This record gives sequence, C-alpha cells and structure tokens, in this order.
Amino acid sequence: MKTIALYSSKGGVGKTAAAVNLSYLAAQSGYKTLICDLDSQGSATYYFRIKPRLKKKAQGFSQAGRPIERSIKATDYAHLDLLPADFTHRNLDIAFLEAKQPTEQLRRILAPLSAEYDLIFLDCPPTFNILAENIFQAADMLLVPLIPTTLSVRTYVQLRAFLQQNGYDTEAVTTFFSLVDGRKKMHRELATAVYRQFDHVCKTPIPYRSQIEKMGLYRAPVSVFAPHSVAAQAYQSLWQEIQGALETRLEKQATSQN
Amino acid sequence: MLTQSTDFHLPDDIEPTEIIAGITAVVPTIPEASQSITLCYYDTFDWRLYRNALVLTGQHNEYSLRELDTAVTIAQEICQTPPVFADDFPAGALRERVAPILGVRALLEMACAEVTRTTYPLLNEDEKTVARLVVEEIRPSPDTTPLITLHLHSLRGYDQEAQTISQRLRDAGLSPGAETDIYRQIMAAAGKTPGGYTPKPPVPLTPEMRADEAAKQILRAQLKVIRSNEPYIAQDIDTEFLHDFRVAIRRTRSALTQIKGVFPADITARFKQDLATVGKMTNQLRDLDVYLLDEARYRALLPENLAADIGPLFAYLQQKRTAVLADVVAHLHGPQYRQIMADWEAFLNEPAPKNPTAPHAARPIIQVARKRIFKRYRQIVAEGREILENTEDHLLHALRIDCKKLRYLLEFFTPLFPPEEIAYLIKQLKQLQTNLGDFNDLCVQEDYLLHVADELPLADQQSRHTLMAIGGLVAILHQERLRVKAEFAQTFAAFTAPANSQLFEELFASGKRKGA
Ligand SMILES: Nc1ncnc2c1ncn2[C@@H]1O[C@H](COP(=O)(O)OP(=O)(O)O)[C@@H](O)[C@H]1O
Ligand SMILES: [Mg+2]
Repeated sequence: MKTIALYSSKGGVGKTAAAVNLSYLAAQSGYKTLICDLDSQGSATYYFRIKPRLKKKAQGFSQAGRPIERSIKATDYAHLDLLPADFTHRNLDIAFLEAKQPTEQLRRILAPLSAEYDLIFLDCPPTFNILAENIFQAADMLLVPLIPTTLSVRTYVQLRAFLQQNGYDTEAVTTFFSLVDGRKKMHRELATAVYRQFDHVCKTPIPYRSQIEKMGLYRAPVSVFAPHSVAAQAYQSLWQEIQGALETRLEKQATSQN
Repeated sequence: MLTQSTDFHLPDDIEPTEIIAGITAVVPTIPEASQSITLCYYDTFDWRLYRNALVLTGQHNEYSLRELDTAVTIAQEICQTPPVFADDFPAGALRERVAPILGVRALLEMACAEVTRTTYPLLNEDEKTVARLVVEEIRPSPDTTPLITLHLHSLRGYDQEAQTISQRLRDAGLSPGAETDIYRQIMAAAGKTPGGYTPKPPVPLTPEMRADEAAKQILRAQLKVIRSNEPYIAQDIDTEFLHDFRVAIRRTRSALTQIKGVFPADITARFKQDLATVGKMTNQLRDLDVYLLDEARYRALLPENLAADIGPLFAYLQQKRTAVLADVVAHLHGPQYRQIMADWEAFLNEPAPKNPTAPHAARPIIQVARKRIFKRYRQIVAEGREILENTEDHLLHALRIDCKKLRYLLEFFTPLFPPEEIAYLIKQLKQLQTNLGDFNDLCVQEDYLLHVADELPLADQQSRHTLMAIGGLVAILHQERLRVKAEFAQTFAAFTAPANSQLFEELFASGKRKGA
C-alpha cells in the first residue's frame, strides 16, 4: 500500500480536484484505491455524492470507537472507495489529544487498510498544524499543487525548509502546476524557474479549465462527464507520471529489501 | 469493493420487466446499455476438469482457467485455433495446470451460451448508486427460452439500502438463493450434467438382491458405457473412446463368465461368443493407438542419432491405423454389430423371471460375490506360487488375466463390502497387476517390432537406419522385460502378505464375517 497526500498549506489550489480525479484514474488502472477526505468541508465526499455526515444520533464520542473499515463507502466506480470527511476529522482530533506520539496517529489509523488497498489518496485541508505533521508522517508521496505565482513558490520553499529541518524525507515531495493560465507570461516564466530549481516537478500542468469547476455541478470526476476534455486529458497524463514515479519507488524498495 | 451479491431466480410466471418496473417505480435508476457475450465451456468427455473443480472458459480466442464456485482465475491464454489437446495451449501456467489432468484426452465443447447482462444502478436522492440490480439472461441457443437470474449487488456502506431492495424482491415473489456459479447455470440451461459420464458408473447393489437382478444391473451399467462411447469412435477425437468402449466390453464378458449360473446357459454362451467378436474387431486398432501414443517414449529410449530414424515406422503405423479405423467404423455401422447389441440390450431390459431355471439366479448376490472372489483369489495364489518355482512367460500371462478377472469382481461388487477395505485390496492387487501388465506389454511390443520390420514398405526396409533403430528398440525393451520379470517375486510376495490373505479370508470366505 502506498499513500499519496494532496497537500498544501493554502486553500483553493486544486488539491481536492486533483485528489478526486487522480484517485478515480488510479482505480480505473486497476489499483484498489481509497480516497480519504480529511477536510471537514467535505468537498471530495460531496463530489462522489456521498453524504458528508452521519445521522445526528450516530455522532459523538461513541462513534469514535467505530472501526475505520465500517465507515468506508463504495463510490459509484469500480475499485474506488471513500472514507467520508466526518469520520477522519472527529477521530483524528480525539486521537491527537490522547496520544503519546501525536504525529503518528494518522499512519496508525490507516495501517489496517494495507491489506485491502493498493493506494490511498489523502485529500488534505489547508493546514500547518499537528494534522499536517500527521500527514507528513503517513504519506509516501506528498503531492503539492503549485499555482505559478511568486507567493505560492515562496510558500513551497518554506514547506521544503520545514520538512528538511524536521527530518522528513524531501524526496517524498512531488509538485505539479495547478490552475495554470498558459496565456500569462508570468506563469510561463515561473514554471521554467521552478523546473530548473527543484527535483520531482511533474511535466504535466493542470490548466485552468471551466470543466473542472463543473465537477461541483455533475458531482463526478471530469473523466466521467467530459472524458475527452483538455482537463480530463491533463489529469490522465499527470496520473501516468505519478504512476511511473510510484512504480519506480516500489521497484527501488523491492531491490533494497533483497 | 467488498460487494456482496445475492441471486434471485425468476419463477416462470414472472417477467423480469415486471420486477424492474416494480422496483424502479420507487427507486430511480438509469439502466446501463446491455452487454452480450458468448461463453463456451470445455472439458474432456469424462469431465476431468470438472472433477478437479476447474472450469475452462472460451470466449472468442481467449481461454481462461478458473476454480469452480469461486471467481479465482488461474491462468489465461489466447489461442488462434481452438485447442484440442493440452499440448495445443502455448507453454505456460494454463498448460502446466491442465496437462496432467487431461492426459491423452481431447477437449470437447460441453456447452455454449449467450449471456446478456443489463445493469440497473439503483440511486438515492443524490443520484448516488446504492446498489446494482443485474438482469442476466442465459440462452444456450437462439430458440431456447432464456434462464433469467437477477443479481442484487450491494455496495460497501450501503447495506441498509440493499436490504430494502432485497425485501421488495421477496415481496414480489422472488426467493433469494446463494450465488450459483454461472458454469452450473449454463450447464443446466444446456441440459448437461457435469460429471454425468464416468467409465466406472456406480451400481447400487444390496447384499440381499437376487443374483440375476444384480448381474443385470452390473451389465446395464457397462452397456451404458459402451453406448456412450460408440458414436465417438468414428469421429476419431481421441483414443480413449475406443479404450473405454473396449474395457466395457471386456468387463461385460468377464461378468458373464464369472458370475456363473445366474442366466440360462445357452443365453450366457451366446452373448459371450457375440461380445468376444465385438472385442476382437477392435484389437488391432487399440494396439496401433498404444504404439502411436508411445512414440515420444520410444524416441526417448533410442540414442539421439537413431531417434529420427524411427520416423518411417510411425509413419507406417499411422497409415495403417487409418485403414484399420475405417474397418472398425464399418463394422460398428454394420448389421452384425447392431443386431448383437440390440439383442443384448433387449435381454438386459427383460424383467427377471419369477421362477428362474439358472441354479444361482435367485440366490442373494452377496453369496455369489463372496464365493467368486474367494475362489479367484485362491487360484491366483496357487498360480503365483507355481511361477515362483518356475518363471515361465506363458504362466505370467495367464496370471495377468486372472488378476484382471479378480479386479473386475472386486470392482463390480464394491458396494457390497466395507468401502475402505475393498479400496485397500484393489490397491494391493493393482501393484501386482502393474508388474504383470508391464511384462505383458513389453513382450507384445518386442514381438510386434520384430514382425513389423518385415511388414514395412520396401523403401523403408532398405533404409538400414530404420531397421537399426527398430533393432535397438527391441534390445532395450528386452532388457526392460528381464528387469520387470525379476521384480515379480517381490511384488507377488507383497500381494500375498499375511495381512492381505487374512483380509481376503475375512471378507470373502463365506460365513466368517458378515459383509457391509
Ligand atoms: N484547474 C482548475 N481549473 C478551474 N477551476 C479549478 C481548477 N482546479 C480547481 N478549480 C476550482 O477551484 C476551486 C478550489 O479547488 P479545490 O480543488 O477545491 O482546491 P483545494 O482543495 O486546494 O482547496 C474549486 O471550486 C474548483 O472547482
Ligand atoms: Mg479541498
């Protein structure tokens, strides 16, 4: 099992859009896939038409003891399940408060799923607190959407610095350009600079497209309602890059184990 | 993932459209386009794959092997021409798995069906799929009424919804059943019974049954085997149709001879004679089959530089076989054979006479069985002892035939005795039979090779290498034969070990112990 976290300390950069589309494409490629909605906003849950909250009476502390397996819901698509927003949110808060090693909790909660899933996508809220550290611990790949603006790139540099200072593996960090407007000169220039400066930058940018906004209308991945759109093709080729990177990591792992 | 499926079989008076209309009146759905596939299942005539809980499915040129009653796929292959023998599959996991099971048997298409599936995703108020209803129609041929099954697939986290739908289906008069493998459904729809043919059909005998009635049951089971194989001999699909046919004829003759005094003597004499004729007309064909099946073994016996030189011999045998097969087929279609079998069948179907004239007809079969088996066993022990004093080839041949007779008796009468003990004795006997059978085969092969050298077309005779290869084989087979012969004493001693003779005594010497 490999865990891919769509992470950024900023909101509105395309994390959820990427998590929904990439998890769908992964499942279509045959990986048994789970998408975990870690954001209390529940956008990913909404895109898959799954109800964000359990019934009133089911809420509260007693619910926290419910095993994770029983909260998982099937999506409409083969090989793809979802862990709804409220489960992780409520359970994680409690776990962080009570635990001796508060940054290990997410990894611990996900561990029992390794028998069942090949891939787990984490759709993360914009955060830089203890949840973020849990995400860094749990993720095999930290996939960071980057809007090509000077401010975003600065934030990204800060993230890398934080990870390095705190002993996380920066090799796990992969970025891709999100909400790209090819007509803007600044976007092009920044992109070139980033490619020069950092490793693990995906070649495929996700362009700014109205089809992606329409996911809220259709409540489905773009590839489902607009399979031939530029947006769908962009996610498809981004997925192929990520799949390639995953497979190389798995191979490396296998050879280093031998 | 983790979806579960429940099957609902439709009673004849309910249309699937009615059911769907009933459900969709309350649960919205947008049906997906129907999908049709044609599935064919392959197995040997005697259902070897089925008996190993395996299913070989063909769809166009794709063949896949899976476990029966589970969805576990073992291997898949693409074959441009339909595979007949195990060797026709490309080297790989599929061939490796089926080869030892199929042996020399050919694959037959056991059933084909067109399967049409229409999926109805059942939606909630958010238009989220909460369960799927699949209507599956299985049609073995265009003019048959399809077998219709509704599959209700529940989705993880939506059990409640699936249960509500399931209840609605039950309310509509459908009864849920466990998931049935589609293989079984297609076989049923095509009117096939997997495992239906076996070369050793079980005969439900009881100890007190009248001996003539029991004998007829045994013989009718053999007749069924004869009749099942008969039409396939002409088609020349594999060698085992003829083989099973011949064995059933031999068993029939053996039963007629050995279960003495249960039918009028003239009738027994007549059919013994007739069936001997039937057996004889297929002898040569079977011999040729055996040589041709052994081609690879013969080649392997020879040194590499001679192995290719044996080619003309097999070409000649193959050619000869074509002619011999034509003779056998003509015979099977001829008036004499038809008459014999019709008379035999009529006799077996006659009810047993109220006051039989044959001396043992009305005795309980258990008495006859004990007596025959024990007598044969003692005869074998005596013959074997004589051979130990004086190992002559013709004595070994006679002993082989008597062992075969004992084997048939034990098999015919298995249901009358404790199954484990009978199985044990058969296993013991089998080891002796293997030794005697190997010896006999080697003698026959050696003789035949010497004699076939004269028979070969002149051009091949002049090829000194072919003759040398044949000579080489004769020498090797002869060495082998001496080795097998030397093993007789030890094999015979094992068979007549005190434990075995005690068991024979206990089970069959009348009065000592009651049978099962
Ligand atoms: N490539 C894109 N083109 C156009 N709109 C996008 C694109 N990516 C995301 N959006 C829209 O931007 C908003 C925020 O995106 P989202 O994926 O929810 O970001 P995040 O999860 O990082 O907060 C959403 O309304 C989404 O539809
Ligand atoms: Mg989001």
